[in-house]
Amino acid sequence: MTVTTLEKAAAQQAATVEFRGLRREFGSTVALDGLDLTVRPGEFLALLGPSGCGKTTALRMLAGFEHPDSGAVLVDGEDVTHVPAHRRDAGMVFQSYSLFPHLSAVDNVAFGLRMRGVRTAERRSRAAGLLELVGLGDKGERFPHQLSGGQQQRIALARALALRPRVLLLDEPLSALDAKVRLSLREEIRRLQQELGITTLFVTHDQEEALSVADRVAVMRAGRLEQCAEPAELYGRPATAFVAEFVGTMSRIPAELRDGTAEVLGQRLPADGEVSEGAVDVLVRPEAVRVHADEHGTARVVATAFLGAVVRVTVRLADGTEAKADLPAHEAAGLGAGAAVSVSLPERPVLVAERIQK
Amino acid sequence: MARRLTPWRWAVLGLAALYFLVPLAASVIFTVDVPGQGVTLDAYARILSTDGFVPSLLLSLELAGATIALVLLLMVPAVVALRLGAPRLRPVVEVVCSLPLVVPPIAFVAGIVSVLKWGPEQLSRTPLFQTFVVIQNENFPLVLVLAYVVMALPFVHRALDAGLRAIDVRTLVEAARSCGASWPQALVRAVLPNLRGALLNASFLTLALVLGEFTVAQLLGYRPFAVWIYNIGGSQAQMSVAVSVLSLLVTWALLLALAGAGGRTRTASSRG
Amino acid sequence: MTTALAHPDVAPVASAKRRRRAPGWLAVVPLLAFTAIAFGLPAVAIVDGAFTAKDATTGATSYTGANLTASLQGPYLTALLGSVKLSAVSAALGALIGLPLAQAVAGSRSRALREAVLTASGVLANFGGVPLAFAFVATLGNAGVLTTHLGLKDTGWNLYSFWGLVLVYLYFLIPLMVLTITPALDGLRTQWREAALNNGATGVQYWRHVALPVLAPSLLGGLVLLFGSAFAAYATAAAMVGSAVPLVTLQIADALSGNVLVGQENIALALSLDMVLVAGLVMAVYLPLQRRSARWLDA
Repeated sequence: MTVTTLEKAAAQQAATVEFRGLRREFGSTVALDGLDLTVRPGEFLALLGPSGCGKTTALRMLAGFEHPDSGAVLVDGEDVTHVPAHRRDAGMVFQSYSLFPHLSAVDNVAFGLRMRGVRTAERRSRAAGLLELVGLGDKGERFPHQLSGGQQQRIALARALALRPRVLLLDEPLSALDAKVRLSLREEIRRLQQELGITTLFVTHDQEEALSVADRVAVMRAGRLEQCAEPAELYGRPATAFVAEFVGTMSRIPAELRDGTAEVLGQRLPADGEVSEGAVDVLVRPEAVRVHADEHGTARVVATAFLGAVVRVTVRLADGTEAKADLPAHEAAGLGAGAAVSVSLPERPVLVAERIQK
Repeated sequence: MARRLTPWRWAVLGLAALYFLVPLAASVIFTVDVPGQGVTLDAYARILSTDGFVPSLLLSLELAGATIALVLLLMVPAVVALRLGAPRLRPVVEVVCSLPLVVPPIAFVAGIVSVLKWGPEQLSRTPLFQTFVVIQNENFPLVLVLAYVVMALPFVHRALDAGLRAIDVRTLVEAARSCGASWPQALVRAVLPNLRGALLNASFLTLALVLGEFTVAQLLGYRPFAVWIYNIGGSQAQMSVAVSVLSLLVTWALLLALAGAGGRTRTASSRG
Repeated sequence: MTTALAHPDVAPVASAKRRRRAPGWLAVVPLLAFTAIAFGLPAVAIVDGAFTAKDATTGATSYTGANLTASLQGPYLTALLGSVKLSAVSAALGALIGLPLAQAVAGSRSRALREAVLTASGVLANFGGVPLAFAFVATLGNAGVLTTHLGLKDTGWNLYSFWGLVLVYLYFLIPLMVLTITPALDGLRTQWREAALNNGATGVQYWRHVALPVLAPSLLGGLVLLFGSAFAAYATAAAMVGSAVPLVTLQIADALSGNVLVGQENIALALSLDMVLVAGLVMAVYLPLQRRSARWLDA
C-alpha cells in the first residue's frame, strides 16, 4: 500500500473545522444543545458518546445532510452552513450498506469523478489507484454483494477519498463488522489518515476504539461537549464524572469531603473536582484500587474475572458498595469469592463527584 | 434524514386522490340523483328484492368458501413440507404456481370449454362421464371451484411464501417437538398460528378474486354475482352501479378487517 | 398429513429419519396432481385444439396449422395488435404515474398516509371487472355524471374508445404499480442518496445514476406485470365497450359463446395460444429481472 503523490496533495490542504454554537431539535428531543468544537488541520478527532448524544448529528451537519437551527459550521474559517451537501468537499464513510449495488467496486470509487465529468479512462485509473491504496486492487470488478463487510467498508473509504476532500468523515464505519476485522481496519484507517494527513472526524460509541486511534477524543453528552482531550489525559484526568465513567471502567466509593480532603476507606486524600463539602463519591480506576487478603478485612470478594495479564476482582465494601480492582494474576491467586480482604487507594489526589444514592 | 412533505408530494397525492375518488363519488351521485325524481335511495332499496341478487351473491360466497378451503388444503401442507423436508421440489412448485399467470382467464376458459365438450363425447360409456355431469351441476358448479383454485394459486403461493419466510418453520417444529408435541400438534399449534396473517391474506385475495370473477363464469354459462351485475346492467343502469359501489365498499371493509386481524402478526413477524 | 407423521416418536431413530423424508413428498403430491388435471387438461386442450381442424361434413379431425395462420390474419390480427397496443400504452402510463405516487408515499415519514395508500391500492388493484366498468360508465359514459355536468359531449369525449379504456384500466393498473414498486422504493437506502450527494452528485444526478438504475429491474418487472394484467383483462372491456374496440379477449369470447360458425372454436383456441405465447414471452423477461432486483435490494 503506497500513497501516490496524487493523493498526498490532500496533505497540503488539510483543513480546520469549527462547530460554533450548533443547536438542533427534532421535535421535542434536543440533538445538539450548543456544540462548540474545533478540529485542527490534519487531526484525527473521535466524537465519542452514548447513542443519542448528538455525535452523528454533528457529523452529518458537517456533511450537509442536517441543518442546524442555529450556529454555524466553518471549514478553514469559511462558513459552509448553507452550502448544499454535494458541494461540501467532505468525504464520508457510512456505517454500512452505502455502496451502490449496481456498480462494481471500481465504478463505485469512480462515482464522484463521473459526477465531475472526468473522462472514463482517467477516472478508472484513479479509482484503481485508490483501490490499491485500500488494499483491494484485485477486487475492482467485483460487485458489492460479492464482497465481505470489511471489503465493502474499504471501498467506501476509497470512494470517500476519491474527490480528495479536505475533510474525511467516518460515521461508525466499523460497528457493523466483526471484532477481528474491526481491529485491523481501524489500524489501517489510522495509517492511511496519517499518510494522507487529512483532517478526520470519526464518530463512535466504542470508547476503546476512540482512545486507540484518535489524536484527540471529544466526549459528548446530551448534545453538548463534555471534554475534548488527548486519550491519555481523558483517561487519566477526566474533567467530569460522566467522562470518567464513560471512558474506561470506574468504581464509585463513598467518601466525606472536608477542606478539600476526602476521607475514604480510612485514608485522607487530596480531592479533585468541584463539589460541595459533605457526602461525596470518589471515582477510582480498577488499576488504582489495591486489594490485600486480610482476615480482619471488612470487604469481601464477590467475583473474579480472568483478563489475561490481570484479574479483575469485584469486592463488596463494608457499606455494601461494590468496587472493581485489577490485580496482577499472581496477587489474585488466593482470592476466591467470599475471601475477606482490605481495600486501599494510593496516596494520590482522587477525583470526587456528587454522591449518587443507590 | 428529515424529509418534509414537499409541495410536489402533495400535488401528486392530490391528483391521485382526485382520479381515484371522482369515479366513486360520481357513481354515488349517479345512483341517488335520478332525473325527474330528485335525490332518492330507491336504487339501493330495490337491490335486495331484485330477482337473482340473493341467489347469485350466495352462489359467489359458496364458491369463494369452497375455493378458499380447497386452495389452502392443497397449498398449506405443500409449502410447509417444502420448508421441512423436500427443498428440491421447491422450484417445481414455484413454476407450477406461476403457470396460471401465463394463461389469461379467457384462454383458460377456452381450454376448459373444449375439455368439457371433449370429455362427454369420448367418455360417454365410462364412469368418468358421471364426473363431468357432477362438476357442471347448475346449483353448485364445481368446475368453477376448480378453475378458481388454479387462478388463485399464484397469489396464495406468494402470500404463504412471504409468511413462511418471516418465520423459521424448522426451528418452530423442532421446538414444539422437543416440548413433547406430536407432528400434527406441532403443525397445528406452532406453525399455523404463526401463519395467521399469511393465511388471512391468502384467503382475502382468493375471496376478492372469486367475488369479482366474471370471465370464466360467464363463458361457462353460470350466474354468480359479477355475471348478475353485468346482466342487470343493460336494463337497470342505476341499480347496477349501486351494486358496483356496494361491492367496492364490501371489499374495502373486508380488507380493513383483515388488516386489523392480521396486522399485529405481520408487523411482529417482520421485525423478527 | 399422513399417519407416518403421527407416530414417529415410537419408531427407532433411523426409521424416523426415513419417514420424515417421505411425507415431504406426499404433502406436495395432491397439489401437483390437482394442477395436472385442473390446469393441465385445459392447457393441453388449448394446444391440441389450436392445431386441430374438424371437417364439417365428415366430422373427421386432422392436425393443421391453419387455425394459427388464420388467427394471425384479418380482424383477428387487428384484435391481437389492438390488445397489445392497449396493454402496452396503459402499462407504460400506469408505471409512469405509479412511480411518483409510490415515491410520494415511500418517501413520506407519515405511517398513516403509507398504510392508507397501500390499503387503498390493495383494494383498487382488485377492483377490476364489471363493477369498475359500471362506475366509469356512471361517471364518464354518455349519460355519466361528469359527461353531463361538464358538457364533455361537445368536446368529442367518448368513453367507449381506446383512450377511454386506457383511462379505465389505469384505475387498477396504477394501484398495482404502487403495490409492486413500493417495496423496491423502500429498499433504496438513505445511505445511497447521501453517499451520492457526498460524492458531488446533485439530486437529479442521484436519480439518474443511482436510484433509477437500481430500480430498473423492479420498474421493468412492474411494467411486465401491468402489461400482463391489462392484456388478460376481459370483463371490464366486455361490460364497457362491447366490441367497439377490437381486443383479442373479446374475439375469443365471441368465438366461444358464438353464433357458431364451423371451426370457430378452434380459432378461439388458436387465439388463446397466441395470448399464452405473448404472456409467456413477457413473463420470461420478468423472472430474471425479479431475481436481480431482489439481490440488489435485500443485500
